[in-house]
Amino acid sequence: MGASRRRPAAGERAGRQARAPIRTEGLTKRYGTTLALDRLDLSVGEGEVYGYLGPNGAGKTTTIRLLLGVHRPSAGRAELFGLDAWREPVAAHRRVAYVAGEPFLWPALTGAETFELLARIHGGTDIAYRAQLVERFKLDTQKKIRALSRGNRQKVALIAALATRAELLLLDEPTAGLDPLMEAVFREAIQEARERGQTVFLSSHILSEVEALCDRVGILKQGRLVDEGTLAQLRHLSTQTVEVTFAGPAPALPPLAGVSAQSAGRNATRFEVAGSVGPLIAALAPYELVSLTSREPSLEEIFLHHYDGGG
Amino acid sequence: MDRAGLTLARRAFADARIRTAAFAYLFAIYAYIQPVGFRTAYPTPAARLGFAVSFAGNDAIRIFYGYPYDAATVAGYCAWRVGGTLAIAAAVLGVLAAVRALRAEEEAGRLELVLAGPVARRTALGAALAAIAGGLLIVWAAEALGSLAGGLGLGGSAYLALATSTVAAAFAGIGALAAQLAPTRRGALQLGIGAAAAALLVRAVADTAAGAAWMRWLTPLGWAEEMRPFTGARPLALLAPAALTALTLGAALAIAARRDIGTGILPTRERARPRLRLLGSPAAQALRLELGSLTAWTAGVALFAVVLGVVASSISAAGISNAVRKEVARLGSGAITSPTGYLAFVFIFFIVTISLFAGTQIAAARQEEAGEQLETLLALPVGRRRWLGGRLALAAGAAALLAAVAGFAAWAGASAAGVQISLAQGLEAGANCLPSTLMFLGIGALAYAVVPRASAAVVYGLVTVTFLWYLVGALLAAPHWLVELTPFAHIGFVPSESFRTGAALVMVSIGVICAACGLALFRTRDLTPA
Repeated sequence: MGASRRRPAAGERAGRQARAPIRTEGLTKRYGTTLALDRLDLSVGEGEVYGYLGPNGAGKTTTIRLLLGVHRPSAGRAELFGLDAWREPVAAHRRVAYVAGEPFLWPALTGAETFELLARIHGGTDIAYRAQLVERFKLDTQKKIRALSRGNRQKVALIAALATRAELLLLDEPTAGLDPLMEAVFREAIQEARERGQTVFLSSHILSEVEALCDRVGILKQGRLVDEGTLAQLRHLSTQTVEVTFAGPAPALPPLAGVSAQSAGRNATRFEVAGSVGPLIAALAPYELVSLTSREPSLEEIFLHHYDGGG
Repeated sequence: MDRAGLTLARRAFADARIRTAAFAYLFAIYAYIQPVGFRTAYPTPAARLGFAVSFAGNDAIRIFYGYPYDAATVAGYCAWRVGGTLAIAAAVLGVLAAVRALRAEEEAGRLELVLAGPVARRTALGAALAAIAGGLLIVWAAEALGSLAGGLGLGGSAYLALATSTVAAAFAGIGALAAQLAPTRRGALQLGIGAAAAALLVRAVADTAAGAAWMRWLTPLGWAEEMRPFTGARPLALLAPAALTALTLGAALAIAARRDIGTGILPTRERARPRLRLLGSPAAQALRLELGSLTAWTAGVALFAVVLGVVASSISAAGISNAVRKEVARLGSGAITSPTGYLAFVFIFFIVTISLFAGTQIAAARQEEAGEQLETLLALPVGRRRWLGGRLALAAGAAALLAAVAGFAAWAGASAAGVQISLAQGLEAGANCLPSTLMFLGIGALAYAVVPRASAAVVYGLVTVTFLWYLVGALLAAPHWLVELTPFAHIGFVPSESFRTGAALVMVSIGVICAACGLALFRTRDLTPA
């Protein structure tokens, strides 16, 4: 167990694949007849901030419960740092900190007492950083948990997790109860974690948050991973919008592969382009243009594309 | 009541169905076996008279069953035994039902949800109370039918069951008031159960101490006795519980109409300086959370044990014929004709109580899982075996403490009153509570691993069923092998008999094996929220 606490040094890169903070293979979970997670293959590398997207009921929390080894896979396996999540949870959890979407703490303990309990059980807590986080999140640690609002309870769980400086942060919709100011503090804290080299697995359905924080994104739909990649990759695979205003009436262009046109007024046309914009530009060359704007799809559009368009 | 109220009442009634059914079953069986058993054990009027003048006339017996107005007839005996014992269960039922329907719903936030709709507070409360009343009606009918089936008259059976039900109603009122005072389910339960324990103590004094009979008029338990079913009924005594129920419910309604939802009347501390003791491990923290209720348990056990120890001094063999002694022995109470015999008999109740305590510990473990705090713990480097093992060790340690306190306090009370008993004998009687407790705890651990949602009910149910089995078997003079299926048949009557090491070893082994299986199986299942 002593060895497992050690962070892999640069020289151990060869073994890095096997020691990825998160790796799942064909991970499947059934609850009775409901298929909650369907053959999930996931790999999150060291130092990565991974956004795990999906609507309610897509299987995000199920994934995290399997990663934590509190639920048992129906098939496949989940590993944290090469340790089997179900068989060796204790060794794995020394390197992990977790924040649940709904923080389940002990109502009779105060914030400070909760910190003490969680820190003593987890070990390795950075007390100075914790005090700093308490300050930044503006938390009253002498209040009992039962007297705290949902957002403030969430802060307790977040601060406790961030202060462990664990190598992997598993966050399940951690900002659900936070106000915009605290959401900003949360984003700063995640940036700091990234700079320290911590790996972050952020399950969320707040797209702006994932867009702002994550290096790589996976989109989950009905228990299956339907898309995965960096934001640039996802955008590349998706369509972009090109809006053109002509000097005269909009002409009818010949059909182009991967381009669909839609009238946007007498002189304007909106093109949805999948893949390269080269052919469209060439086709537009003969005409006099007033303006041409191109917009990459937002994560929201990519997300909605997967859900509305049947992905 | 409007439609919303009716829907709410139905929902609350359905929510309580398992508790209602369990108590109805217990009441029906108990009301049935007493007349049947008494007829079998004392077939002749002479035997019944002998029983009445000796056993039932004894102060030390009354402490448990209340005051017998006429124990020489089947009906009078039943009025005493059924009424006296079930009244205690009825008090617990009343508190549980009221706190669950009123405070637990509010604590879970469901009341706020209901009141956010077009529902008045009065309607919501009225619906909860109607559901409680419906449950009590069923339990009343069960007890009446049990007596009827046991051969007692219809009117008398209904009236006897009514006497028991007044206790449940009065304590439902007290529970409803407690639910307005305390801001949490736990706090309300402590208030309500505390009131029931105090009432039991007052009844014990009223029924045993010379010149204290007037104290029967102080508690619902005493009022039920004063209704005197089958022994010159005094229906006017009904007025007292009716008045108390109306008064407590009125007060509860008045408070509920004025206070903020989600709060109580008693002051609560929302802020506290951090106290960092007992936070080093899941087990230490569990002990910290249980410290309050453990203190209450210890104090309650100590108090009752001291009182019973003192009372034991009044027991003597004089005036008890050999025939009656044999009959009493057949009732499964051992040789109850000496102070130590009486203490041995009394300790059966501590054995049952501490076994039930094992159930509360399984319930506490389950509570931590149902509330999902366990998920928070297991996401830390805490193994499941360590967590559950710690919980079980804590439960076993607490049970051992209770057993030692019971033995010590009974010894202290008895020797202070001049009974010849050594401290070792007292502690041995205490230790005698542990084998069955450890067995039930182990079975509870196994149940927790396999059927988490039902785990506490399994323990409570097993303790109750096996104990009733033992009582019924003894009363009906059932074949040996049938009676011996229950663990209670294998527990020696310490201190008048010796500690049965063999049986104790078997029980502890069963407990340990079950606990080991439970620890192993718990690792193979998903965590199950409420």
